[in-house]
Amino acid sequence: MLMTLIRRELLDNLMTFRFAAAVFITLLLVVANTIVLLKDYEQRLTAYNTATQESHEKIRAEKIYSDYLGKLVVHRPPNPLSIFNLGLDKQVGNKIEVYHAFVPTIWDAEKHGADNPFLNLFTSIDIVLVFQGVLSLLALIFAYDALAGERERGTLRLVLTHPIQRGYILFAKYISAMLCLLVPLSISLLLSIILLTTATTVALDTDDFLRIGGIVLTSLLYVSLFYLIGMCISAMTRRTSTALMLCMFVWGVLVLVYPNLILTAVDIVPQPNTQISAYNQIKQMWEEWDRKNKRLLRNDAVLGPLSQNGEGWGFRLKGGEYSFLRDEDKPSILLYFHQTGFYAGKIKAESEPHVPRVQDYYRFYNRETVNTVERAWLVRKPALEAIYVQPANLGQMLLKFSPTGLYDAATEAWAGTDLEGIQDFFGTVQRYRRAVVDYFYDKKIFESRQWFAADEGTADWEALPQFAFHRSDTSINAKRALPDMLLLLIMNVILFIVIMLIFIKSEV
Amino acid sequence: MWHIAKRELYDNLNSLRFALATVLLLALMLTNAVLYLREHPKRIQAYHNAAAGAIETLESRSTSLYRLATEGPGDLHKAPSPLRFCAEGDEAFLPTRVSGANYGRRIAGMTPIWRMFYPQETPNLRNIRPDFTTLDWAFIVGYVLSFIALLFTFDAISGELERGTLRLTLANAIPRHIVLVGKFLGAFISINIPFAVAVLMNLLLISTSDAVQLNAEAWGRLGILYGIVILYTCLFIALGLLISAAVRESGVSLVVLLLIWVSFVVFMPNTLASIGSRTSVPIAYEEFWVRRIQLADAAREAYTNKYGDSQTTPSVHVLGEYVTKEAEEHERFNEAYLKQQIEQGKRARAITRISPTAIVQRLFESFAGTGFERHLQFIENVQRYARQYREFVIDTDRADPASLHVVGIQEGMSQKPVNPEAIPKFKDTRSLNRDFNTASTDLLLLVLFLGVLVSGAYLVFVRLEI
Repeated sequence: MLMTLIRRELLDNLMTFRFAAAVFITLLLVVANTIVLLKDYEQRLTAYNTATQESHEKIRAEKIYSDYLGKLVVHRPPNPLSIFNLGLDKQVGNKIEVYHAFVPTIWDAEKHGADNPFLNLFTSIDIVLVFQGVLSLLALIFAYDALAGERERGTLRLVLTHPIQRGYILFAKYISAMLCLLVPLSISLLLSIILLTTATTVALDTDDFLRIGGIVLTSLLYVSLFYLIGMCISAMTRRTSTALMLCMFVWGVLVLVYPNLILTAVDIVPQPNTQISAYNQIKQMWEEWDRKNKRLLRNDAVLGPLSQNGEGWGFRLKGGEYSFLRDEDKPSILLYFHQTGFYAGKIKAESEPHVPRVQDYYRFYNRETVNTVERAWLVRKPALEAIYVQPANLGQMLLKFSPTGLYDAATEAWAGTDLEGIQDFFGTVQRYRRAVVDYFYDKKIFESRQWFAADEGTADWEALPQFAFHRSDTSINAKRALPDMLLLLIMNVILFIVIMLIFIKSEV
Repeated sequence: MWHIAKRELYDNLNSLRFALATVLLLALMLTNAVLYLREHPKRIQAYHNAAAGAIETLESRSTSLYRLATEGPGDLHKAPSPLRFCAEGDEAFLPTRVSGANYGRRIAGMTPIWRMFYPQETPNLRNIRPDFTTLDWAFIVGYVLSFIALLFTFDAISGELERGTLRLTLANAIPRHIVLVGKFLGAFISINIPFAVAVLMNLLLISTSDAVQLNAEAWGRLGILYGIVILYTCLFIALGLLISAAVRESGVSLVVLLLIWVSFVVFMPNTLASIGSRTSVPIAYEEFWVRRIQLADAAREAYTNKYGDSQTTPSVHVLGEYVTKEAEEHERFNEAYLKQQIEQGKRARAITRISPTAIVQRLFESFAGTGFERHLQFIENVQRYARQYREFVIDTDRADPASLHVVGIQEGMSQKPVNPEAIPKFKDTRSLNRDFNTASTDLLLLVLFLGVLVSGAYLVFVRLEI
């Protein structure tokens, strides 16, 4: 009996014009946007490859160790799954400098290839966004007359004269509608995956297919939730036209209005108090260290004269070619540091006796610098969290009151383009910086002659630890996506029970 | 005709959709006003502080003409539009200033002359919040109101066909086009009532607050915006009637309308912009810098060669020529890069004109004085001011007979102090006239769209078999 019911419903849905139109539009939108996104991805990949190559050459042209700011640069590769959900992948910086005098964060990152500010108005449409808008609308259109329509036509009465439980009828309707909705979903996914695999630049591995599977599963939950919302409205109202209007307005509010409304409303400007106090603290640490450094230089019998009484940026060794100051002072992202040094092509014989003393000094200077950075990081990290991450999380959390927000968050987590996925990269960069500093300590590079002079052997950048970034495991993606998926599932179950209760109690 | 319109109106006024539309529009418009009142005074304050600071810096340079000639006018700030609640544009991500400065750099041991810099940095890079569209009028009209218009019209004809009342109406001696016009008017008025109420509340809230002052021009612009809204709603009503008559079944008509709506309103503008932006891609920023350095090197080389045989001309003149040329070349280079970026933005925008929503978005930006077109106007203002400033420096120098008239060199310029009042100050102005000019194509397109849809609806309805 259940099979008969399902078959009837299925035929009812499949043979309609609305079904054909919906499948057509979904396919059109998904294919068009996949092509656009694929081109975009390829462009970003090319930019990434060129930038990586250039940075690689740039650091190797450097003869001494000390002046490597802006030369030791790592780049964030674009995520191939950003075609499904772009998330933050394109928006956040993808070029980050590695330097011992600051801890790299997401906010210090720049972009290889500057963005055109005049294109910011347009958002990129990804596949999840198409599903989010079109499939939810479709689910509601399938659902609004599921019960109210049959009641109006009187066929519900007819069906109930047979000895079937009402639950079965609901179940049959649900199953058949979901099967119908699966058609546009699966065909469009199939087409986009075909497009992806034919593009030679996109390399998808097994893990990626698992992640795509996760996205599909989430999409199913999302579509099913909207179908159930429509069915609930249909069960509650007596007339199809009322049900339809309610469905459309519910869609408008949940998909179109609520996310934008809530994000505009909580458009929080960073709290200036935290920012100013943290920035001042960090600046104070550096100034304290600077005073200590200058005091030492001034009082030292050898270094004092060489550095012009502690005021110089480098040392006046004979053969020194230029001295430099590398500093950064950005209160908005709490970045403050300065480093001085100099470059000597060939140190003359008369300055040779001073060299060990200078080397000794640089050991102290660099060690203290790294310590200052560690101390400043203890202040900077929580402050950055408070200024940038918390408002973002608040927005993210408020979005989750709409199924759209949950769907978006879960698919982002699967694709690895959410904030945590991006932070994974910056975590790796932070560890890499640590590894570079450790390498400098281990090989005594901070106190080496090559730190400032290029005469007795130049800097060996080949031996430096290499940077490698791998996207997190599928299990981690799953772990991040699971809470939101679970919420979607619970909503589904609750709605189903509610519909059941309404339907069982309703008079036909 | 009025009879039909009235009947439609009564029908709609009692319906659920009318109530829901009113609530939705009111909620959106009130949120819009509240947020605007919270943000705008801060923006105005920030702008005034920045502009006052810039003028102060400029006047502090009046100690000598040489300083004015080398350090330049400093930062020039973009005035925020009081109508930003109508269209946010992408204001938050556009640069708010252009600077004319030399940044204290020294080139070949000399202080260079100031030139224009167009800052690139956008705050978007540090933004890790979820992406969203700001709730401005353009969004409320472009997305929500068009959606509501479709919900009001999808069953206007097909519904009556199904119920059989259309046959009854046409049995009377009324021409069909009158029926259509009646329906059109009925739908138009019933959509406009909730919208007008919502707009009224929004404007009441904004105008009663003393933090924001809207002048007569702003009210005129609001009037124009309202006219655009009317055109746009008419367009969607015509579309609704067209499909409703063509499809004959309310359920199907709604599905078709919604799919058209989703593609044209939500997806098309963004997808097309992405395609359009690819037709004109500016050179990479890195390459821009490399070329810039090459250019500076070439200029310096040319100058050193010339300086070698400077016995014939006094060195002051050679030096003056060099600094002037270097600044000019750099500025031209910056402008060329900016032009490429603007070109890309223009291309991206031009192609989106296929979607009426994108047209309305552009029109809203133009008349609200925000977004891309406004930024172009700001840049034009800045460039005009830059010319004026240069002329001022040259004229002041000419007025002093003791000067050698070599701009950019300390010894070659007038040594007299300059009256701070006399220095031209930058004023960022907007002109309604110009806005009309840029918007005329879009307005025309919108009217054409409307014409096509209205005549389509008429043709379909007249040939409809009942």
